[in-house]
Amino acid sequence: MSEFLQHAPSHRAVRVWIRHLVMYRTWFLAEWAGTLTEHALYLLAFGYGLGRFVPDMGGMPYAQFIGPGLVVSIAMWASSYEATYGAYSRMRIQHTYEGMLSAPLTVGDVVVGDLLWCASRSLIGAVLMLIVLAAFGLVGSFWAVAVLPVVFIEGFMFAGLGLIATAVAPSYAFFNFHYSLVVMPMFFFAGTFFPLEGLPDWMQTVSQAMPLTHAVVLSRGLIVHGHAPDAAWHFFMLSAFTLAFLAVACGLVGRRMLD
Amino acid sequence: MSELEFEVDGRGLAKSFGALKAVDGVDLRIRRGECYGILGPNGAGKTTTIKMLCGAAVPDAGTLRVIGIDAVAEGRRAREQMGIVPQESTLDSELTVYENLWVYAGYFGFSRRESRPRIEELLQFFQLREKWDSQIKTLSGGMKRRLLIARALIHRPRLLILDEPTTGLDPQARHLVWNRLRELRRQGLSILLTTHYMEEAAQLCDRIGVMDGGKFLVEGPPLALVRERVGEEVFEFRGVEAEPVLRVLDGLPFEPERMGDTLYLYCKSGAAVMDRLLDSGRRNFLRRPATLEDLFLRLTGRELRE
Repeated sequence: MSEFLQHAPSHRAVRVWIRHLVMYRTWFLAEWAGTLTEHALYLLAFGYGLGRFVPDMGGMPYAQFIGPGLVVSIAMWASSYEATYGAYSRMRIQHTYEGMLSAPLTVGDVVVGDLLWCASRSLIGAVLMLIVLAAFGLVGSFWAVAVLPVVFIEGFMFAGLGLIATAVAPSYAFFNFHYSLVVMPMFFFAGTFFPLEGLPDWMQTVSQAMPLTHAVVLSRGLIVHGHAPDAAWHFFMLSAFTLAFLAVACGLVGRRMLD
Repeated sequence: MSELEFEVDGRGLAKSFGALKAVDGVDLRIRRGECYGILGPNGAGKTTTIKMLCGAAVPDAGTLRVIGIDAVAEGRRAREQMGIVPQESTLDSELTVYENLWVYAGYFGFSRRESRPRIEELLQFFQLREKWDSQIKTLSGGMKRRLLIARALIHRPRLLILDEPTTGLDPQARHLVWNRLRELRRQGLSILLTTHYMEEAAQLCDRIGVMDGGKFLVEGPPLALVRERVGEEVFEFRGVEAEPVLRVLDGLPFEPERMGDTLYLYCKSGAAVMDRLLDSGRRNFLRRPATLEDLFLRLTGRELRE
């Protein structure tokens, strides 16, 4: 217990977040251009290209169906990148974590600060994507803004998952596993591109176990209709995944950084 | 002397990695205002000892107090009182000198406004004032090292810990670092450093401890240790047979040591040895004062450590 308290996070985590924000100033334009273009292309290619042959899905035009899913997908990608490639560089290459731990910061401060930052990047990506959706007239309700806190929690959650991979990764190449086995399956099977209803039972079960699925349901409901079905349940699932990933990430990063 | 007068008070510290005993029952006491140097070959346990102080390694055994604070149980509080200078740069290379410092000051709870006068003062002291807006990647190795030390002092710690502070620096840069460290010591800061530069230890340290195999072999003021363990003077012979030299000097007090093609004679006073050598017609030797390097090599052996 005392060891846990030694590494517990505090308000100083915000200082770690500030450091990442100051760094972000030096390269944010490249990121905005890259990720945003990518997801706007998905919207155009699938929503309007493929959408011409898919007249209606889930009771709405195809572009409107996938748009909200892309908002939470962009959030997943942004935070996963930051928590894998970004955090690996901070942990192993630039010795950023080491520098922080030589100040009166704990492993918990460093981890929570990092995850807050990853969640912030999710938020930035999601806001940009929402603006694109609004420009295409795909936002149905003012309550679409309620998706932003959902995105923040979702980003924090995926950052925890990414940081777990980072803490055990022997090299950058390891992240191929994280992306092809964890991130990509969620991107395709969490209900962004097609409804999960009607899939074989086992696939539905797998999809329900994917954290992104809950974010997609909340996002689609909020952006299209201004409210989501079973919102409390999905919110609870997101929070549970978040806490679990956070605890494991703290433990593994501590093991990596301290002898 | 009461316990609190020790800035660092470590007793019976031990740390193993698997079967390797990196630190094997070490006592480490540093007095207020003292500069203490840990010397030792690679793998002697210097860095692990430092890591325990900084909270980056948890000792398997022993107690460790820094400024009276239990550094193992209350690492965060202990680090509030220490400035830590790592061996490798942990600066943010994309950020400027000023950004690096105010961001780091934030880790101690200082706002940007609060830290600014202190940053001015430190950059002045380390001759980096004109680098205020320069990105780290444009700085030389010596500047980065000075900046790392400046950063470690941002919160006015009572104890400064440096892991090999001048490794990889050119002589000018090294002398500037030594000069600044001596000034800090004069201002009353307690300093703990590791090094394998003997000159560094001789120039800076009030006391040294020579470490090998996870233990301290000897401890004390550098000059006194050299006198006591090596002697005052050393004669070096290169590429000669040992036997004839030793026969000429038969009966005089000295200690010989053979290493590769070189014969070393350590003695309290060289005058008698010198006379005897000159009488025998020998000129091909070097007479010099004994140094810390002799002490170090005598204690830790002359074989290569890798």
